[in-house]
Amino acid sequence: MSSSEPCPVETPFGSNDVRLSLAQWAVAVLLAALVLVVAPRLLERREDPGSGPDFRIPYSLGNDYWMFERTSRRACADGKILLVGDSVVWGHYVGSAQTLSHYLNASAGAERFANCGVDGSHPVALAGLLDRYGGAIAGAGVIVHLNLLWMSSERHDLRTKKEFAFNHPDLVPQFFPEIPCFRRSFQGRLDTVVGRYVPFGAWAKHVRYAYFEGSDIPAWTLAHPYECPAARFARALPSPDEPPSPPPVAKPWTEQQLAKFDAQWVDLESSLQWRFFREALESLRRKGNRVFVVLGPFNEHMLTAASLEAYAGSKAAAAAWLDATGIPYVNCTVLPSELFADASHPLAEGYASLARQLLGDERFRDFSGAAGAEGGKQ
Amino acid sequence: MTFNTWTFALFFAVFYPIHLAVRRTRLGVPWLLAASYFFYGWLDPRYPLLVAYATVVDYLLVLGMSRSRRKGPWLVLSIVNDLGLLSYFKYSAFVVDNFVWIAGLCGFTFEARAGAMLPVGISFFVFRSLTYTIDCYRGTLPREKNVLTYAAFVAFFPELLMGPIDRAAALLPQLRRAPAITGRDVADGLSLFVVGLFKKVALADYLALYVKKVYDAPAEYQSPALALATFVFAWQIYFDFSGYSDMARGIGRLLGYRLALNFDNPYLATGLGDFWRRWHITLSNWFKDYVYIPLGGNRRGTALTYANMAATMVISGLWHGAVWTFVIWGGVHAAGRTLTRALEQTGFYRERVPKIAKQLLTFAIVCFAWIFFKAASVDDAFLIVGRIFACQWADPGCPPLMLVLIACVWAYQYVRETRFRALLALAPVRIALMAGMLVWLAVVAGSSGQGFVYEQF
Repeated sequence: MSSSEPCPVETPFGSNDVRLSLAQWAVAVLLAALVLVVAPRLLERREDPGSGPDFRIPYSLGNDYWMFERTSRRACADGKILLVGDSVVWGHYVGSAQTLSHYLNASAGAERFANCGVDGSHPVALAGLLDRYGGAIAGAGVIVHLNLLWMSSERHDLRTKKEFAFNHPDLVPQFFPEIPCFRRSFQGRLDTVVGRYVPFGAWAKHVRYAYFEGSDIPAWTLAHPYECPAARFARALPSPDEPPSPPPVAKPWTEQQLAKFDAQWVDLESSLQWRFFREALESLRRKGNRVFVVLGPFNEHMLTAASLEAYAGSKAAAAAWLDATGIPYVNCTVLPSELFADASHPLAEGYASLARQLLGDERFRDFSGAAGAEGGKQ
Repeated sequence: MTFNTWTFALFFAVFYPIHLAVRRTRLGVPWLLAASYFFYGWLDPRYPLLVAYATVVDYLLVLGMSRSRRKGPWLVLSIVNDLGLLSYFKYSAFVVDNFVWIAGLCGFTFEARAGAMLPVGISFFVFRSLTYTIDCYRGTLPREKNVLTYAAFVAFFPELLMGPIDRAAALLPQLRRAPAITGRDVADGLSLFVVGLFKKVALADYLALYVKKVYDAPAEYQSPALALATFVFAWQIYFDFSGYSDMARGIGRLLGYRLALNFDNPYLATGLGDFWRRWHITLSNWFKDYVYIPLGGNRRGTALTYANMAATMVISGLWHGAVWTFVIWGGVHAAGRTLTRALEQTGFYRERVPKIAKQLLTFAIVCFAWIFFKAASVDDAFLIVGRIFACQWADPGCPPLMLVLIACVWAYQYVRETRFRALLALAPVRIALMAGMLVWLAVVAGSSGQGFVYEQF
């Protein structure tokens, strides 16, 4: 074969007339792109996600990463200090006016702290969340909570070979580094990677979570055959004050018949979660953010004696690394037993106590004062 | 790997630039062949061995045929080998199960099971390969001298899994030449691909949700749901299969090859004969040329014509799979074809009955046949038929959006066959439709990668 030859066979084009020339293709793609750029902006302007010092991402939108992107962007633009982390920051067992960010704001007497916690965002997921959806977090003050619970066993550390369902699988690395317990088809992993980088992919998911109960529109119409999908857009977004799941508990862990916890702490050096936590901090710092780490608290009362000793070792190792890298932190002292709902989640009074502990720390005051001032200039 | 996945997009993103670079060189066909084997092997690493076996045997048999005075035995060997391959993988379980059942009726009870895997697409590439040996035997096609070109024809990845079943006479000459790829080809390829993707992802996969819900538990539904699910399935399978064909043809165009039209708005057919000229056209033509006409076609009187038609339809049913529901499906089509052909012989039906009435009658027969095609078993099929005609009311729970989408497509196709078709050909209409499909695919459609109905054949 040396030169191209015209096709010796000609067949009918097709059974429809939707046949475009290259120029018409360009127009069609531009038109579609315009819709896909404009629609999210229009919806964002129309939507009222709620605001105020106690705003947090509604529980049902915990997998809606566009919402996180939007919340963090707004907080940065307002010059607030962002609190990021898992359900401890989000406030799993408490109302939105009983979280750490609420008590910090109350003490500051101003809206200076924004709750950007995402329920279930373990450090591997948090790193993915900040990397892909935290683009707007730059030049800001960021408080990152380190919950050592994620290193309390090989399973929490995502290193067991046996597959199990964990939170936010779409945020973890899909191919490299390999996560032993993460089994998903090549097709599924590729879908996830593409979904992260398609500009409107996160927004399309937001539409599903915010208006269609987390399912895609076709599946939703099957469950609600006689409802008009378009009418769903008239609904308000879920409230940040909606009851979390499970519902808030007012009881400390000791009154819930919870057994003592014999955690098999993993070595930080080999911990996957710790590795990604460090990467998340470094990524934040590379973007010019001032980072502060809240180390703990953890319900040490719940640990067996042997486990408590290992926990102290892990905490010390984490503190040593933070010292070595020059990242300011507060090594939280343990709260009273009755202020915990479980192994790591404080109750409302626990959050209030934690806020007092932070504000009593000079490094935190320096950080929040400086970060707040810097943020305010933006 | 199927066309509606990002895996395929990645595969094509690697394959296509190299194809563009090497298509004019000696590496053009080997690259296409390697890509096709990789594409097939992605589903199961054993599959390429099977397609290689079919390729080599038919190539050698035709080589033997070309060097022999008696061509018949070579053709017989090829047919026995190809149909043997198909029978072993596709029909052994059917034969064994029915043998055990008949033995049981005679008082002999024993257990036996045929456990061969069913390679995806085997019915398609075996039939494609058979067109080569039969046409060479008939002398209408010269022997392909380059084994790699022949292998690329059999394993040609756009058509490998679900057709169209292009003839050797149509595709081999294209593969022998370096394909010219113009801007028009790229635009046409994209147009066909996106329309096909829309049919599959936005329409077929959506309709499948309702069909699956009802057909998985037919005993739980009454007449309205079962009738609607059958109606919706008719469109689901059309969107699914014609969507795949459109994508295959689009990819073919992007590569510089013209693949045969496989669907031509079949639900506008005015008779069953017309339906089969519009539905799975390449398979219909295959059966017409290699089964119906060799059986005698319509040359031996009315009775034999109907018998030949019936035999062809039942064999066509068996081609889909070795279960009695497909045989009955073929039988219903045979009966429907006989009925509509007989009606078409009358002047009253030809001239006085409105076209829309003929279309509706044809569509009703096709829908009735789909019950047997879709049902999990013969018992289920008769249960569904019985319940539909029992006419007991219960809320069908079918989303009106589904019916609106179907109505829009039907209206589009209907208008396209009227004098108003020029309206659909207007550039703004086409551009708006394409942009609409792109947006729908991006935002509304469900997750990618759902399987195709015809994968199982």
